[in-house]
Parts: sequence; C-alpha cells; structure tokens
Amino acid sequence: MTTTRTRHPGRARRTAAVLAAVVGLALLAGCDPTDTAPSPTPTASETPSPTAAPPAAQCDDATTSYAPDAGTSVTPGSTMAAIQDRGSLVVGVSADTLLMGSRNPLTGQIEGFDIDVLHEISRALFGDPDRLQFRVITSGQRLDVLTGGQVDLVARTFTMNCDRWQQIAFSAEYLRSGQKVLVTRDSTATGIDDLAGQRVCAPKGTTTLDRLSQHPDITAVAADTHTGCLALFQQGKVDAITGDDTVLAGFVAQDPYAKVVGDAFSAEPYGIGVPAANVDMVRFVNAVLDQAKTDGTWTALYDRWLGALGPAPAPPTSVYGRTP
Amino acid sequence: MTTLVSPGSATGRTGPAPVTPAVAAAAAPGDPAPASHGLRAALRRTPGKLRVAGVLVVVAALVAGAAGLAAGLAQAAALDAARADTAQLIGVREVRNDLVTADAAATNAFLVGGLEPVEQRVRYSTAIAEASQGLAGLAGSNSSDADLLGTATAGLTTYTGLVEQARANNRQGFPVGAAYLDQASSVLRSEVLPALDGLVADNEHRVDGSFAAVSQVLWVLALCVLALVVLVVVQVWLARRTHRRLNAGLVVATVVLVVATVGGAVVLGRAGVRADDVRDGPYARAVAVSQALSLATDAKSMESFTLIKRGSGQAFEETFVAETDQAAQVLDGAPAPAGDLGQQLATWVGAHAQIRALDDAGDWDGAVALAVDPQGEPRIAFDALTAAATSSVDEDVTATQDALGDAGGAVVLLGWLALLAGVAAAVLGWRGIGRRLEEYR
Repeated sequence: MTTTRTRHPGRARRTAAVLAAVVGLALLAGCDPTDTAPSPTPTASETPSPTAAPPAAQCDDATTSYAPDAGTSVTPGSTMAAIQDRGSLVVGVSADTLLMGSRNPLTGQIEGFDIDVLHEISRALFGDPDRLQFRVITSGQRLDVLTGGQVDLVARTFTMNCDRWQQIAFSAEYLRSGQKVLVTRDSTATGIDDLAGQRVCAPKGTTTLDRLSQHPDITAVAADTHTGCLALFQQGKVDAITGDDTVLAGFVAQDPYAKVVGDAFSAEPYGIGVPAANVDMVRFVNAVLDQAKTDGTWTALYDRWLGALGPAPAPPTSVYGRTP
Repeated sequence: MTTLVSPGSATGRTGPAPVTPAVAAAAAPGDPAPASHGLRAALRRTPGKLRVAGVLVVVAALVAGAAGLAAGLAQAAALDAARADTAQLIGVREVRNDLVTADAAATNAFLVGGLEPVEQRVRYSTAIAEASQGLAGLAGSNSSDADLLGTATAGLTTYTGLVEQARANNRQGFPVGAAYLDQASSVLRSEVLPALDGLVADNEHRVDGSFAAVSQVLWVLALCVLALVVLVVVQVWLARRTHRRLNAGLVVATVVLVVATVGGAVVLGRAGVRADDVRDGPYARAVAVSQALSLATDAKSMESFTLIKRGSGQAFEETFVAETDQAAQVLDGAPAPAGDLGQQLATWVGAHAQIRALDDAGDWDGAVALAVDPQGEPRIAFDALTAAATSSVDEDVTATQDALGDAGGAVVLLGWLALLAGVAAAVLGWRGIGRRLEEYR
C-alpha cells in the first residue's frame, strides 16, 4: 500500500486507461474498510457514530466526483453566488491537527495543508484568500455540520468513502494518506500487528477507528480528536495511536519521544466535504483543485506542510464521471 | 396559679391536716412505705413540714440557677457552632470561586496564544494559591468534611498539573496544549467542583441545624418557671399555716428568680432573634452573592470556550446563558442591597453580547480581541462585578461572624448571672423558712 502514491504517475490527463486504473484503485482503497467492517465499531467506550451506523454502502467510485463545468466562474443564482453575497465562506476545520489544520498559538491563526486548500478556494471565489469563516469541529461532527447545512465546506482529513457519499458529496481527491501507527520511541513494534493486547487510540467517528475493529486483540480507545489521543499517549493511558500518516507526522513534530512505524495499511483519499445538494459547489471546488494541482500550488503546499513525509509526490489524479 | 392555690384551701380545715398535695407529691412519694414511719411522724408536725419546704425551696432555686447556666452555655455553644459552620460554608464557597476564577483566567489566557499575558498568569496563580490555602484551612476546621476535601485537593493537584502541561505545550506552539486544557477543565468540572458542591450542601445542612439549636435553648427556661411555681406554692402554704402574709426571705428569693427568669428569657430570646436576623440578613446575602459570583465566573470560562471552540461553541454559550440567568435569579432572591450586583451582572452580560455579536458575524479575531482586552468593556464590566461581589461577601461574612460572636459572649455572661441568682435565691429562701422554724424552738 505504500506504493499507492507512486501508482499515480499521471498528470491529470484523463485517458480511459488511467481512469480505469484509478477507479479500480478506488474500489480497493475507498471501499476497503466498509467491505470488511460492515457493523459499527464495537469499542468499549464508543457509541455508534453516524459514519458507522448506516448499512455499509457498496460502490466502486468513492473517489469519483462531479466534473467542473464552468471553471471558477460564478453563475448568478448558484451556491457560489449566494456565498459571495454573504461575504465569507463558512468552513469546518480542525484547530488541533498540526500540519493539516491547527491553531498557531503565536499568531492565533488556524493553519495547515487543509487550511491552505481552503484559502485557494476563497481566493477563487472572492479574489481574497482570507474570506474564510472557520468553524472548528471534531472528527465526529464532520457529517453533521454538512447535512445540517451549517457550513459550506469541510476540509478536515476527510476520507472519501461510499458510506459518506450517501449523505454528502466530496470534491475530487486532493491528498492521499494512509493509516499507520505511532508508538513510543523505545517500542519494538514495527506495525499494527505487533500491538496485540495493547491500548490503541483513535478519534471517534473516523474510518481509522472503524478499521481498528479488524484487530480484535487490540483494545481500542476513542478520543474526541486526534490530539486528544496524543494527550492520552503522553500520559501513558494508551500505548499507541493509529491514524493517517499526515496526522501522525504532526504528532511526531510535537513529541520527540514518539515515532511512526510500519507501512501504511490502508489508503485514505482525502476529499473536501460539501453538502450533497450543492453539486455546483463541488464542480467549482474541483476546478480550483485541478488548477492548484497543475500550476504547482499543490506541490508547494505539500512541501510547506508535509515535507516531513518525504518529497512531494505527484498530486492525486482527479476522477470525474459522477452524475447527480 | 389559681388552680394551684385552690387545693391548698383544704389545709384550712382543723385537725391533723394532710400535707398540701403539691408538696406531698414532691416530698414524700414513698408515703405508705413501712420504713418511713419515723419520717411520717415527723412530717405530721409543723417543724418537719417546714424543713421539707425549706429543702424544696433550696432545690428549686438551685435547679433554676443551673438551668439558666445550662441554657446560656448551650446557646453560646449553638451560636459558636453557627459561627464555625457559616465560616466553613463561606470558606468552601470561596475556594470554589477561587478555582473557577483560576480556570477562567487560564482559558482566557489560552485565547491570547502562546505568550500569555502576565496579568492573566498572576490572576491564575493567585487564585490557585488562595484555593490551596483555603482547602488546607477547611481541612483543619471540620473533620467530617475530610473525605470530600481530600477528593477536591487531589483533583486540584491533577488540574494544576494539566494546566501547566497545556501551558508548556502552548508555549512551544504545540496544539496538543489545547487537549490538555480540555482535560484540565473536565477534571475541574467533573471531580473538584462536585466535591466542593457536596461540601456546600453538607455545611448548609449543619448551619441550619446550628441556627435551629439557638432558638431551641429557650425551653430550658421552663425549669425556672417550675421553680417559681414551687416557691409560690410554699409561700401560700406558709401564709395559711403561720397566719403571716409575707415571708421576707421567700419573697426576695422569688423576686430574684423572677428577675433572673425574665431577664434570661429576654437575653436568650434576643440572641435567638439576632441569630435569625443574621441568618436571614448578612448570612443569606453572603451565600447568595457568593453563589452568584461562582456562577458568573464559570460563565466567564464558558465565554472563553465559545471562542476557543471557534464556531462550535453553541453548547458553551447555552451554559453561559443558563448560568448567568441563574446568577441573576439568586441575586434577585437575596436580601437587599444585593440588587446593585444584579445591575452589574446585567451590564456584564450585555457586554458579553458584543463578543457574541462579533463572533456570530464571522469576526472571530475581533471577538477574541474584545474578550481578552483588559480595557475592553466586557472585561471592565466583569472585573467590576467580581470586585463588588467579593467585597459584599467579605462585609457580610464579617458582619455574620461579629454578630454571632457578640451574641455568644452575652449569653455566657447571662448563664453565670443566672446561676448566681439561683444560689442567692436558695440562700434567701432557706433563711426565710429558718425564721419560721426558729419560732418552734
């Protein structure tokens, strides 16, 4: 699975062959967890989360989104026009996931890879990257704020999958992450299979927590946020944390006594969440993402925030073809 | 009195008159016993009866004096207990206020960022120091609170540790600091404050008991009234038996006892009334204002959390509204002049609305700037409220303690005077009977 990133050599040239390969991968990547984990996560301290509750959806197009149709131009009466009238884009983000979306205590500003992607969307909408109104949400709130119409977009390490597509829409994939484990510096574990009998933390309402249930010999511990897991880890209340490598990289940056081990054992395609009805908004966001992927902005953002994970790979290929 | 005198009229008959029923009942309960033949013979003669009457008078006077002393000491003890229990209760409330103040400062400083304002830091440290001292003081003053105080102290240690961890991470720019602050806040609200609330409830119970005991003491004076009845009955019997209207010694003894009883009733009653006044006045106000201050300060933490949670703080805002509403109600129900505080509370809640308006309109930075600005309207209004509330509580606590202490001193003095009066009445009464007895020698 570590090879997933290199399996996308294409530069957004949408030939039929690439499309077929990517769709095949999507089947593997996006829907993998739900295929094998159809029931809610039976963790000790967890109530069924909205993401895990509905019957597992079967689909082979978790990363397939709506193709852009009008570029970044805004037509009157569209969702984007309404947002322009309002004057700001309301976005659901994390304020404590270092590197992806976290509040910088020095400046008080929320910053990270997810946040910069949103700044690009704001720039396209308003000609000003800072017309963002942040709503800080937990992982478990991501679907609710979208279905409840409280935000225009959610950019919060949001894995695209079939279950979620039933309630909301996603943009095209904008980052490919994979689930790994974080352990103490002196641990001999080299992967999740070495953590039998140990307490492993993951945030509520995430695919990460769902996937832990595939390891019945591991004691799953749920926290409200990723960073809540780090606090528990530092207090010795859990032995390890599992999460996306993007998130874990942020933890290692905060704690020199932690290390990330093993290969990614899942592929987590990140998409920007949009209320299901706002198909025009999805198309608009995709136009912005395509632009960033091709003009080098994406690579610059990756280097700025996720350079610790290695040199920037090629941006994930946008997959289109979904119809409302 | 008339009913007690009327059976005495039977003694007006000639012949070997039976003893007055009242006296007989007290002096010779074992009348038919064969062993008391000598005593019965002696009692048939007047000098024997006089001696019994003398003993009765002495015992009654001494009992009255002892009862007065007991009543005085018991009421002093009750007042003392009320004083200690109110002090303990207010002490617990002050610790609670210190802790929510510390938490409000910590959360507010967090809004500012890694470089927390010195003034906020000082506020936090001072509040924590006062809370720790307060807890230590409370532990020494009432052992029945030890368990809950232990829970609170242990929780406080955990709390301060987590806050320091949050600060250290925050200072380095690590967002995990926010997770520690969350944990700290949850320890405070799930462990420490409930323990203190339990202590408040226990102590309120004790205070009520102590105040009730202050008034219950009065019935002890019934013994004095009984003694007076004995004296009067003896005098009536003596007047009929000796055909002299008045016995100087007994009359003076009666007057002394009447004065002592009435005086005692007045002093003890007034102390009871005074204790009730304290309970319904300064004490009730101190408790109410202290509770309102606690609620308002916690609401201040909630205000910070609405901003820290940035856009997801609706639940915190609801808590803010609930707590400030409750504080207003508590102040409304408190004895005047707590009403001024209600006005100050309303001013602060109004200023808080400005912060919410900015945040709700999307200007989070503006809302934070206003919330942390020491010269901003919300902070000035809040500081004014806490300063006024704190000094109001301090004044009322002092007034409560002084009033209960003064009353306690007065009733102790009264108790000893009552004993003195009882002894004096006993001596006078014995001498009065002695005069009549000498006439038979």
